[in-house]
Amino acid sequence: MDRRNAHPRLLMSSQQQLRVLVDQLQREANIERMNTSEAINQLKRYITEHEAEDYLLVGFSSQKANPFREKSSCTVL
Amino acid sequence: MPPKDPEVEKLKKELQDAIAKVQEDQKSKADTDMSGACGDLSEAPKVRAMCKRMCKGHINKVNSVHFSGDSRHLVSGSLDGKLIIWDIFTGNKTQVIPLRSAWVMSVAFSPSGNLVASGGMDNQCTVHDINDRDSTGVAKIAREMLGYEGFLSSMRFLDDDNLITGSGDMKVIHWDVKTGKKVHEYFGHSGDVATMSLSSDHSVFATGSVDRTIKVWDLRDPKTCKQTFWGHTSDVNSVYMHPSNMAIASGSEDKTARLWDLRSDQQVCEYKPPTANSGFTCCGMSKSGRYIICGSDDNTIHMWDSLKGSHAGSLQGHENRITSLAVAESGIAFATSSWDMSVRVWAL
Repeated sequence: MDRRNAHPRLLMSSQQQLRVLVDQLQREANIERMNTSEAINQLKRYITEHEAEDYLLVGFSSQKANPFREKSSCTVL
Repeated sequence: MPPKDPEVEKLKKELQDAIAKVQEDQKSKADTDMSGACGDLSEAPKVRAMCKRMCKGHINKVNSVHFSGDSRHLVSGSLDGKLIIWDIFTGNKTQVIPLRSAWVMSVAFSPSGNLVASGGMDNQCTVHDINDRDSTGVAKIAREMLGYEGFLSSMRFLDDDNLITGSGDMKVIHWDVKTGKKVHEYFGHSGDVATMSLSSDHSVFATGSVDRTIKVWDLRDPKTCKQTFWGHTSDVNSVYMHPSNMAIASGSEDKTARLWDLRSDQQVCEYKPPTANSGFTCCGMSKSGRYIICGSDDNTIHMWDSLKGSHAGSLQGHENRITSLAVAESGIAFATSSWDMSVRVWAL
């Protein structure tokens, strides 16, 4: 193992590792959480507000806007 | 048997308490679930996307695909030792870049379209400048990043100067591409990092790992992981940041796809196909976030209505495992790569 590149966890005792883990978990435990009702409503709102631009949902407004359309041949007049 | 170390026992208790606290708080905030909150919505239409382009050119399994910021060019990496850049409008190759190592697992295109990054079992990340070519017209190497103790599994450019990588040695590293130096390393995963996804405003990013968790990191405060999502019962193979930046979609070896909400810090939905018998290797979302799209071990692409949770259809075509999925930023199409040696582009 190249100590210069080793993951720091591998250089700690298991007790030290546990301490790091506990500290991190306590940090994560203390974050502010929103109610799911509020959070899901915001997701819903974002999605419905952007649905008109979602090509996989509504397709292309005109065939001209569709880069995958079959190109029709041109005639020289 | 050696006596139990009181210090270690104390720490283990603190660990249990912290986990219990997280679960309690999450539960207390779960005043509704997805089906309750979305009961008033009608279902999204069944998927009508078709394969619009079949990009043939690789002569071995294709492991990874990613779009340029222009939503028109795609880079793919294959075990044939090549990167190919495709124009998805025409379906033609615009460049072929031979790699020093054929063991490529992951590729990324910079948003500007100037750089491509690749890496894999060679345990290094290589950046090519596609505008800087040698006398034979082949893009030159701009930078090589070394110092990994495991394979490169995932990478994303913030811009031409900043690249983040995830690797099998559990590392998540932010590199300065110009100097080749580490800007920061993000610690937390206890297993191979398999996947990553950036928020559109580049403020946060998510990673998924063999340790079954999804972790959220803040680019402006890299010292500690911000959130960890538990729930998957096997490797998290893929994560995708919801276009709103408020949620993360994931696909896992445990045969489920899930949606995780960042602000309530919990899983809000789970998605399964009609017959759930294959793991998901990759995932993405449509531009509004209404559809969640996953590529599977069994050659099929599944799509769901992310809000109603209903299966919106499946797309067949690939003849072998799907390895990677990329969504164009404009939302106009998505692309998949496969062990069947092809790259396919899907659109309406």
